[in-house]
Amino acid sequence: MMNSQKYNDRIVKGFLISALVWGVASMLIGTWIAFQMVFPELNFGPYFTFGRLRPLHTNAAIFGFALSIIFATAYHTVQRLCRVRIWSDRLANIHFVLYNLTIVLAAITLPLGMNQSKEYAELEWPLDLLIVVWFVIFLVNYFGTIFTREEKQLYAAIWFYIASFVTIPILFIVNNLAVPVGLTKSYSLFAGVYDANIQWWYGHNAVAFVLTTPFLGLMYYYLPKHIKQPIYSHRLSIIHFWSLIFIYIWAGPHHLLYSPLPDWLQTTGMVFSIMLWMPSWGGMLNGFLTLTQAKEKIKTDATLKMLLVGITFYGMSTFEGPLLSIRSVSALGHNTDWIIGHVHGGTLGWVGMMSFAVIYYLVPRVWNTNLYSERLANFHFWVATLGILLYIVSMWVSGVTEGSMWRAVDETGALKYPNWVQITEVLKPFRLFRGIAGILYVTGLFVMIYNVIKTIATAGSGWKEIDLRVGLKEGKA
Amino acid sequence: MNWFDKLLDWFSGYTDKWETNGVKFTIYTTIAVLCGGIFELIPPFFLSKTAEPIANVKPYTALEIAGRDVYQREGCNNCHTQVIRPFKWEVDRFDPQKSFGRDGYSKAGEFVYDHPFLWGSKRTGPDLAHESQIQASAEWHKTHLINPRDTAQGSVMPAYPWLFEESAKLDPSKIAAHMRGLRSVGVPYTDAEIEAGAAELAGKTEGDALIAYLLKLGRDSAELAKSLK
Repeated sequence: MMNSQKYNDRIVKGFLISALVWGVASMLIGTWIAFQMVFPELNFGPYFTFGRLRPLHTNAAIFGFALSIIFATAYHTVQRLCRVRIWSDRLANIHFVLYNLTIVLAAITLPLGMNQSKEYAELEWPLDLLIVVWFVIFLVNYFGTIFTREEKQLYAAIWFYIASFVTIPILFIVNNLAVPVGLTKSYSLFAGVYDANIQWWYGHNAVAFVLTTPFLGLMYYYLPKHIKQPIYSHRLSIIHFWSLIFIYIWAGPHHLLYSPLPDWLQTTGMVFSIMLWMPSWGGMLNGFLTLTQAKEKIKTDATLKMLLVGITFYGMSTFEGPLLSIRSVSALGHNTDWIIGHVHGGTLGWVGMMSFAVIYYLVPRVWNTNLYSERLANFHFWVATLGILLYIVSMWVSGVTEGSMWRAVDETGALKYPNWVQITEVLKPFRLFRGIAGILYVTGLFVMIYNVIKTIATAGSGWKEIDLRVGLKEGKA
Repeated sequence: MNWFDKLLDWFSGYTDKWETNGVKFTIYTTIAVLCGGIFELIPPFFLSKTAEPIANVKPYTALEIAGRDVYQREGCNNCHTQVIRPFKWEVDRFDPQKSFGRDGYSKAGEFVYDHPFLWGSKRTGPDLAHESQIQASAEWHKTHLINPRDTAQGSVMPAYPWLFEESAKLDPSKIAAHMRGLRSVGVPYTDAEIEAGAAELAGKTEGDALIAYLLKLGRDSAELAKSLK
């Protein structure tokens, strides 16, 4: 392909492969710890207990899998949207090596118990410093590409990537400020309520600027590209982009409702969370309305199905989020499995499905061949969708049951279920279903990896584009 | 919807220009993102009322700090919260002896020495904010940590027998550095307390330290509440 000379696709390939590696790692560990919640015998101490593996699961999923997809698509889209090669191939390679080194070190240090106890920011300070180094290298390269671009207009997809890449370092650095007391131990600069406030400002916006905005960016690029139709509304993208990035950052305190956090902050968090529903659905609708332009192809195209389900789960999760941030709903749902279900609706449904769609889109193109099997991709779609549904439904039931049993009182006003384990026993079957859901989802992932390996084996054999525009015959460019 | 269209026209008039200027676009994006952060992170620092230390609440001793380090290392905060919400059902459950009077929920002033905070976000096991008032027996905690099923049949908590083995003896040489680090972020340890730290740890296991930490949780504010009664 002539593109291969103009653009650096090697770096895209590298991050696609690391996405598959860290994806399998994170989801296998996720499934394992799901079963630990039912069978405590599966805790192998001291290195493989739930408390040490859970941070490994979240870090591998967010920073191993999702971030690999983000970097793969960022490098792929920025070169096309700016019509120039990435500013520096060497910086891209350094970024790739240091990034993967960080995740490897994370996978070693977290089971060793080196953990600063802030959710999604567990890595200790030497690794934090390493992350800052390669992120700066990446930023220089990314903005270097944008500033040397040959295309004047910055397309919507690139807005979302820019917003993500300027915000992630701000959040990361502030929340990780700590005083080292040894190579593997540090204490947060902040204490108690302040620390909680900063942690959830970070934690919520990790959801916003790692798991949401970059994936909206890739939706804005790959969805129209895949169906060869323009995005439904440019004006809708303008309004929903600016309102989304402005409002999202305020929503953190909804994680701390009814805590000793000042009431005005809790209320601010709740109000902005509810407001967030509008820009989120703006993005969802723009995706949906774009997709309807090719709706006849949904039955036959696995990638399109994945985009459809991904966007659906985006809409669902961003409806559930504001709902859960309402005080009275939070009173029932907070600290329960419902929240776990909510998170996984977003991660397995939105992030996972969009990532899989992008992998099926990119692998044949960057390796210049055709996908080994559309049928296997279709099987992956169904088994993953089934897994997500089983996961969130079992967690909904479990969470609402849990919250209700905690608060249940008898006619004298005494607790109906004072014995904690009595409640745990009731939840066990639902938690078992969650583990089975995990197995389904991981099965889909293995099928995809097989498909990708078989596809790469025929690399260079020439890639033939299928045109999804309605009314055109397949294969006609 | 005419006014909305006009608003959109006006707004996209600006954004269209930004979209052709990478520097401008990046700066305006950063400003949009910083607004919420500045509003939420700066004012609480200057409002002393948000975290007035409660009179009786004292910093953790050397052994309790060592125990807190173990608590963090084992990721106990993944399954246990340390914050009790102001609901009857939570106060009844986590303050059964009414040790904290009528208001047995968590107050900001109880956490002023917590670097980092360990409130957690998931309650797979019970809340531990007032654990010293719920289960005061060190022997019970030891049995529970060695095998949770021995004290609570059906518990899904991992077993931590190695915390009490010979290999889990604490290293007293490090604790002074830990306490000095905490002092540098605002915990008022005296030089004498820091020097005495190593002796407090001598001969103790990580399990002993963890139990000392668990028996510190909620103790100071409960004593204050009792003295007021």
